[in-house]
Amino acid sequence: MLVGDRIDRGARVLRVLLVDSDPERAAAVEAGLSATGCTVVAIASGTRDLTRHVRDTGAEVIVCGLDDPSRDELEGMDALHRDEPRPVILFAEKAEPEQIEAALAAGVSAYVVEGMAPARMRPVIEVAIRRFRAHQALREELATARRDLDERKLVDRAKALLMSRHRLTEPDAYKRLRRMAMDRGLRIPILAALLVDAD
Amino acid sequence: MRNGVHRTGPERGPRPIHPRSNGGPHLALPGPEDRLVPLDADDAPRPTLRRPVLRTLRLGFVPLTDAAPLLAAQELGLFDAVGLRVTLSAEPSWAALRDKLAFGALDAAHLLGPMPIALAAGLTGVRAQVTIAAGLGANGNTVTLSNRLAQDLGRFPSPLAAASFAALVRRRAAAGRPPLTIAVVFPFSSHSYLLRYWLAKGGLDPDRDLRLTVVPPPMVAQRLAEGEIDGFCAGEPWGSHAAALGAGRIALSSGDIWPNHPEKVLAFDTAYATRDPESATACTAAVIAAARWLDEPANQAEAVNILRRRAFPKLDRTEIAAAFEGTAEGLPLDAPLRFHNATLPRREQAAWFLRQMRRWGHVPAAVSDSLALAPWRQEIWRAAAARLHEAEPPAPPPPPSSPLTDSLEHA
Repeated sequence: MLVGDRIDRGARVLRVLLVDSDPERAAAVEAGLSATGCTVVAIASGTRDLTRHVRDTGAEVIVCGLDDPSRDELEGMDALHRDEPRPVILFAEKAEPEQIEAALAAGVSAYVVEGMAPARMRPVIEVAIRRFRAHQALREELATARRDLDERKLVDRAKALLMSRHRLTEPDAYKRLRRMAMDRGLRIPILAALLVDAD
Repeated sequence: MRNGVHRTGPERGPRPIHPRSNGGPHLALPGPEDRLVPLDADDAPRPTLRRPVLRTLRLGFVPLTDAAPLLAAQELGLFDAVGLRVTLSAEPSWAALRDKLAFGALDAAHLLGPMPIALAAGLTGVRAQVTIAAGLGANGNTVTLSNRLAQDLGRFPSPLAAASFAALVRRRAAAGRPPLTIAVVFPFSSHSYLLRYWLAKGGLDPDRDLRLTVVPPPMVAQRLAEGEIDGFCAGEPWGSHAAALGAGRIALSSGDIWPNHPEKVLAFDTAYATRDPESATACTAAVIAAARWLDEPANQAEAVNILRRRAFPKLDRTEIAAAFEGTAEGLPLDAPLRFHNATLPRREQAAWFLRQMRRWGHVPAAVSDSLALAPWRQEIWRAAAARLHEAEPPAPPPPPSSPLTDSLEHA
C-alpha cells in the first residue's frame, strides 16, 4: 500500500486507521488528520474483523471516538493478546479540561478533543505511539517472565498437592501429573492450574 | 440549609412513600425528614424555592437485561422517592462506560464484575478507584452456538457438557479445520472467565485451541448469522434474540457453569461515594427496592415493558421475557437470572474472578488481592438496606471447583 507523495515533506507519514460509525464526523476527523501529515489508510465502521483490518491496512495507530461502539473490540484485540496491538487514540467531541486531565492521569495514551489545532495533534499522536511502544515492550518482557514463573509455580503446587494427598514422592507426583495431563490431552501447566484451582 | 422548613405537606414523621399507585414497591425509608419528597403533595400550593433540593446523579448503563434494576428504579419513581434526580445514560460500549466513570463524566455505572479489578490494577492503561454498592444480578448470560456447530454436535442434552464441546473441537483440529471463533462481550468480563473455566474443564486451552474475540452484545446475533463467529457468550436478551432469528442455538447458560454467579455490579466513583455518601446510599436503596420488585413474578410483564421501552425497542417481547421467565428457547434453566439476592456485594465471590484472571495471566502477580478486591465493600449496601429494613440475603453456594477435583482425580 503506497502512502502517497507526502513523504518528501520531511516528516514521516503516519498511517492511521480511523474507527468511526458516523461518516460525517469521520470525514471531519480525516481532514484534520491529513492536515497534520497523517494518512488515513481506512475508515472502519462496525467492521467485521477489526484485527484483520488493522493488519491488512498496515495501520500504525488507531484513532477512535470515545463513544464509538467498536471500542470494546479494540480493547479485546489488546487485552486478549491477539495479533498486533496498536496504540489507540481517543477523541471526544467535547470534554471538560478536568476530564482530559483525568484521562491522561489514568494512563490513556492520548485524548484528542475535536477542534484541536492540527499543529498540536501531530505531536500528541507521536507521543502516544512512543509511550505505547515503550509500554508494550515492557509488557511483553514481563508477560514471558511471568508465564514461565507462574507455570513453574503452578506445577510445583500441583505436585505438592498430589504428594500430600496420595503420599507420593516428588518424582512419582510428577509422573502422575504428567499422566493425568496426557490422558486428557492437556499441557501439564494447564492441568496443574485445574488441580490447584479445584483445591 | 436542608431542614424541615422545606417540607410542604402536613407535619408528620417518617412514613412509607408510595412512589406509584400501580404496584411499585413501597419504600419505607426512616431517615431525616427533609430527604422525603412528598410525591403525593403535587396538588398542594408549593413555591418553587421551597422544594427540596434534588441532587443529580449521573448513572451509566449498557443496554442489557440485567440493567433492569436501574431502569426499573427510574421508571417506578424510586429515585424520586429517595430524593435523587438521576440522569440515566445508555452507553455504546463497556470501554466508554468505564472511561466516563474513570474520568469523572459519570458518578456511577452498571459494570461487569471483573471490571473493577481491571480498573484497580490499571489493566488496559486505565486505572481508577471505584466502590461497589450493590450487585445487580446473578446468572443471565447464555452460550449460544451457530446452527452449523450445533449440527456438528448432534443431539445434545441441555446444558451442553464441556467434554462434548471439547471433543468436537479436537475432531475439527484433527481434520485440519481452523479453530472456532467464540466471542465474549469484553475481555475482562464474567462471560470471558466463565467461558474459559468451562472450556478448560473440558480439557481445552482457550488461548490455543480456540480463538476468543470481542463483539459488542447488540452485534452478536448478526455476526453469528453471518458466520463471522461460531458462537458467543453474552448477556440476555441477545442469546434469545439470536435463537429467535434462527441464527443459533442456546447451548447452556452461565448459571450452568457457576450456579447463581454474581454478574453486573453497581459501582460508584470512589471520590463521589466519599464526597456524597448520602446520595450513594439513597441510590443504592432505590436499586435494592427495584431488584426486589423485579423478582416478583407478578411484575414480570411490566418489567418487560420497561426494558422494551428503555433499552430494546426493536426486539420482540418474547425475546426480552425469556430471561425473566428463566427459560432459554422455551426450556427452563436451573439457575435463571435473579436480582434481589444478588444485591449484597461479596468479596469472596469476586475473589473467584480474580483467581481466574491470574490463572490466565491477565493480572500481574505484583497486584495484591487486597488492592484488586478493594472495590468490594458492604458499607453502602448495609446503610441502604437498613433504610429499607432489608435482611441480609442468604449466602450463595460457593464458586465451582470441587466437582472438578473429582472429575480429575477419579476419571
